[in-house]
Amino acid sequence: MKRIAIIVLASGLLGCEDPIDVTLEEAEPVLVVDAWINNKPELQIIKLSMAQPYFDSSLPPPVSGATVVVSSSANETFIFEERNTPGDYVWDPSTSANGIGEIETEYQLQIEVNDEIYVSISQINRVPTIDSIKFTFKEELNQFQPEGYYGEFVSADPRGEGDTYWIKTFKNGIYQNRPFDLTIAYDAGFSQGGLIDGVVFIQPLQDSVNPLNEDLDEIVPYEIGDSLYVEIHSITNDAFFFLQELQIQTQRDGGFDEIFAEPFENVPSNIINADENGEDIIGYFNVAAVSGSGRKLTE
Amino acid sequence: MIGATVLVKEIAGGTTANVYGYYSVTLPPGTYTVEFSYIGYNSVVQTIDLTTNRRLDVELKTEATELDEIVVLGEDEEANVTSVEMSVSKLDAKTIQKIPAFLGEVDVLRSIQLLPGVSSVGEGSSGFNVRGGNVGQNLVLLDDAPVYNSSHLFGFFSVFNPDAVKDVKLIKGGVPANYGGRLSSILDVRMKEGNSKKREVSGGVGTVFSRLAVQGPLKKDKASFLVAGRRSYVDILAAPFTGDATLYFYDLTTKVNYNLDEKNRLFLSGYFGRDVFRFDERQGFDWGNLTGTLRWNHLFNDRLFSNFSFFVSTYDYGFAFGENDLDKFDWESRILTYTFKPYFNYFINTNNELLIGGESTLYDFKPAEAVAVSDGLVTDISLDEKWSIENALYIDNTQKVNNKLTLKYGLRFSSFHYFGVDSVYNYETIEPGFRQQQTFFRSFDNNEIIKSYYTWEPRASVKYQIGKGSVKASYMRTAQYIHLVSNTAASTPIDVWTPSTNNIEPQIGDQWALGYFRNFGRGNDIEASIEGYYRDNRNQVEYVRGADIFLNEFLEGELIAGDGRAYGLEFSVKKNKGDLTGWISYTLGRSELKVDGINRNEWYPTRFDQTHNLKVFGNYQLNDRTSFSANFTYVSGAPVTAPTLRFVQQGLVAGYDPLESRNNLRIPATHRLDLSMIIQMKRIKKGKERKNKDELVLSLYNVYGRRNPFSVFFSQDQGAVNLGSPVETEATRFSIVGAPVPSISYNFKF
Repeated sequence: MKRIAIIVLASGLLGCEDPIDVTLEEAEPVLVVDAWINNKPELQIIKLSMAQPYFDSSLPPPVSGATVVVSSSANETFIFEERNTPGDYVWDPSTSANGIGEIETEYQLQIEVNDEIYVSISQINRVPTIDSIKFTFKEELNQFQPEGYYGEFVSADPRGEGDTYWIKTFKNGIYQNRPFDLTIAYDAGFSQGGLIDGVVFIQPLQDSVNPLNEDLDEIVPYEIGDSLYVEIHSITNDAFFFLQELQIQTQRDGGFDEIFAEPFENVPSNIINADENGEDIIGYFNVAAVSGSGRKLTE
Repeated sequence: MIGATVLVKEIAGGTTANVYGYYSVTLPPGTYTVEFSYIGYNSVVQTIDLTTNRRLDVELKTEATELDEIVVLGEDEEANVTSVEMSVSKLDAKTIQKIPAFLGEVDVLRSIQLLPGVSSVGEGSSGFNVRGGNVGQNLVLLDDAPVYNSSHLFGFFSVFNPDAVKDVKLIKGGVPANYGGRLSSILDVRMKEGNSKKREVSGGVGTVFSRLAVQGPLKKDKASFLVAGRRSYVDILAAPFTGDATLYFYDLTTKVNYNLDEKNRLFLSGYFGRDVFRFDERQGFDWGNLTGTLRWNHLFNDRLFSNFSFFVSTYDYGFAFGENDLDKFDWESRILTYTFKPYFNYFINTNNELLIGGESTLYDFKPAEAVAVSDGLVTDISLDEKWSIENALYIDNTQKVNNKLTLKYGLRFSSFHYFGVDSVYNYETIEPGFRQQQTFFRSFDNNEIIKSYYTWEPRASVKYQIGKGSVKASYMRTAQYIHLVSNTAASTPIDVWTPSTNNIEPQIGDQWALGYFRNFGRGNDIEASIEGYYRDNRNQVEYVRGADIFLNEFLEGELIAGDGRAYGLEFSVKKNKGDLTGWISYTLGRSELKVDGINRNEWYPTRFDQTHNLKVFGNYQLNDRTSFSANFTYVSGAPVTAPTLRFVQQGLVAGYDPLESRNNLRIPATHRLDLSMIIQMKRIKKGKERKNKDELVLSLYNVYGRRNPFSVFFSQDQGAVNLGSPVETEATRFSIVGAPVPSISYNFKF
C-alpha cells in the first residue's frame, strides 16, 4: 500500500516537507532490551541500553553489569556475557552442548540489573523451508518498476492459522535493514484479518526481496552477478504485532503517504519487571527458527 | 423559491416558502395587500379579495442590475433576527462563485469552510469538521440523497458542480426533527432546476476542470432539464511525461423536473462521479459516488403539501495491484443504500406550521470483496456483507406565539436493525485501550435480526425578540447509527462506513445552543450574531492502540467507545449590501474525547481540535464589470501524537512515550491569504448585446506562500545505516500546498 502510494507523488501533486523544531515533553529515561535471538550457528547478542530523548541522535547509552540468562522449558540454561562491547551480552552456540532450536520449546529471559529483575517468555515456532530463489527478467512496467531482474522466494506457509514470520533480505551479502525493508507476514498474507493460510506467500511478500532505491521511489532490480539470500524467521504472534507497530512508526517517508498515515502509538513490549511497582522496561524478546536460501544471478 | 417571504401587510405577518417553494397563509375573508419578496428579485405586491380559498402562483423577476439567472436563495432581510432558526448558515450560488478558489475552481465545500464553526484539518482532508465533530458526523445531502464521500482528489475539490447548485444550507445545531442520522451537522445541497423558459449553455475552462452545463425547457413552463458535467484534464496534458500513469476525475449532475399539473410536480435528479488513479494499465485505484433521486410533490389541499422521495446512493472504491492474472490483488469496498422518505407540511393556521413524516433506509455494506492470486492460486479474502435498516418517524411544529416569541418543537423516533451476517462475534476487553478479543457468539439466518436500537430524539428551539435583536436557544438529541471508520490523520477515500452492531452502539449526542442575533445599520446592512454551543456525546468511536483497520475481519475488536464533548463560541458579522460585502467569522472552540485505556483515562483533544478559527472574506465591486475578492484564514494548529523518548530495536529507531498520551503536541497554526478578481467581458459589442455572457477569473491562492502543516511526523533517517553508527531522528512538517498557486479560468454562458 505505502509503496504504491509513493508513485502517486510522481504524478505531479504538490507537497513539501521541511524539518522543524518542536519541543517535546520531557520524560525519565527507560531501560531498553533488544533480545531477538535465533537458532543460527552464529553469535547470539542481547543488547541493553537506555532510551534517550527523542531528538538525541547519539548512540544509545549502553547498560553494563547486568546478568542476562535465557533458560528453556527443556531445562537448559544459556548465559549471555558482556564481552568487548558494553551493553552487548553475547552467547556463543559453538561453546555450548545445548542449542536453541527444538520447535515449540519455551524460553524465558531473565535480566538482573540495578537491583531489578525483568522477565520475558517466548516460544520458538515452526518455519517453512524456502524451496528456491527465482529471478525473472521483466520489462519496464512503470516508473516504479524499471526493467531488470526481479527476485522472489518460493515458500509456502504450512496449514494452521497463526504462523507469523519476519522475512529478511540480503543483497550481495548485505542485510537490507532500512525501515522500508522490514517485511513481516501473518500466515501467507499481510495481517491477521487477511486470513490467507496454508498457501504460497502472497505475491507482494515474495516481491519484498527487491529493495528500493535511496529515494524510495523505485525498485532497484538485480543485475547479473548479484546474489540474493532470503531468511525467514519465525516469530510469535505478539512479536508480529510488535513489528507491525514498529513498521507503522518507522516507515515514514513523508510525501503523499502522510495523508494515509496512522497516528503515533507506543510499540508494545513483552518484558516485564517481576516487581509490579518497579522501573519500566521496553523492547522485545523473541526466539526464532530460521530457514534460508540463496542464489547468485548468472547469465 | 426557497425561503421567499410572503408578507400580508394588514396583519404584519405572513410566512416563508418551504424547500419546494410552497407556501400557505390562512386568513379570515377580506381584502389584503400581499407582498412577495426575495433578495435579488423585484418584490411583487398583489391586492387580493379573499372570499374563498385561492391559489396564487407568483413568479418573481430578477432585479434589473442582476445579469445572472442563478436563482438566489434570498430571505427576508430580517430573517437573521426574526426566524426561529439558529446555528444555520446559508450560501447561495452567487456568493460561492465570488470566493477565491484553489486553482481557480469555485467550490461548495471550500466555501462553507469560511462559515463560523466550520474547519478542516488541511488541504488533503476529504471532509470538514463542524463544531468539533468528526468528518463522518456530517450528513451531506444532494437533493435529499446522502453522499458518502463528498470529495474529489482527497478533499481538494467537492463533488458538487457549482453550475448545478442552487443553494447550500448548513445546520450546525437546533436541527429540526425532519433531519437525523448524524451527530454534528446537516449539509443540505439543493440542485437547480433547469431554466424552464429558454435553453442555456454555460461552462468554463479552468486550470483543473473543464465544465459544461446545458439546461432548458423540455416543455415550456412545464418541464425542464439540467445536465452539468466536469472533467479534469491534467492527465491529458501530462500524458507525455507520465506514460501509462494517469490521474483524472469527472462528474455528471443531472436533473429533470416536470409539473404534471397544478397539484403535482415530479423531480428526477442524479449524480455520478469518479476519481481514477492508474500507475499503469493494470494497477491503480478508483472511487466514486452515484446517487439517484425521484421526488413527487403533491398538494392535497391549500394547506397540506406533501413530498415523497425515493433515492439510491452508493459509494465505492477499488484497488487493483498485480502485473498479470497469475499474481494479483484486487479489492473493492462499497456502501449502497435505498431510502424512502415521505414528508408532509401542514400549515395549520398562520401561526402553526406542522411537519410530519418518516424515513426508511436499507443499507448494504460490502466492506471488502477481495481476492489474492499468488502463482495462479486464488484465495478469496472477502469480508462478510452486512445489512441494516434505519427507520425514523417525526413530528415537528413551528408555533408563532406572538410577535416576539416563536417556538419550534418536535420529536423524532429512530430505530436501527442490524442483520444479514451469518457468523457473529462478541468482543471482550482484555486490557482497556487495546485490541479486544473475539469470541464466537452464534450463527444467524439470512433475515434474522442480530441487534436493534431505538432512540427518542427530542428537538426544541425558541426565539424571543428583544428590541432590535433576538435571543435564540435550542436543544437537540440526535442518534447516529452508521460510523465512518478512519484511523488516519485526516479522512481519506478509503475510509469505511460501518453499521452499529452487537458490539458497536449508536452514537448519541445532545447539543445546547444559545445566541443573540442583531442587525445594524440602515436597511439592516449588517447582520451580527454571537452563539455559544455545548455538545455532550456518548459512544464515540475511537481506535485501540495500534489499531489495524485495513481489510480486517475482526474490525469491531479495533473499535472502542468513549465520551466526547465540544463547546465553543461563534462570532459573526456580515455585510450584505453595497459595493463592499463580506463577513468576519471567529470561532473559539474545544473538542475532546475520553476513552478507557487511552491517554491515562483523561480527556484529550480530538485530531481536529483547533482552538481559534478566524475567517475574513470580502468582495469589492469596483464597477459594473470588475470585482475583487479576498479571504484570509487563520486556524490554530491541530494536535498530533508525539513521542518523548527513542530507543533502538534491531537497528531501527522507535519513538516511545512513557506517559502514553494521545494528541499531546500542537502542530503550528495554519494561515493563508487568497485573492481573486472577476472581470466580465464586454456585454455590448458594436451596439448589440452579446449573446455570450462571459468572464475571466484570475486567482492567487496562498498569496504569501505559507507552508501550512498538514501533519508533523517523527521518523528516523530512511537510508541504510552502517552497523554501529548512530541514526538520526527528526520531526518533519508535511505541507500539501507550499507555494502561491496562481490560476486563470474562463467562464461562459449563452
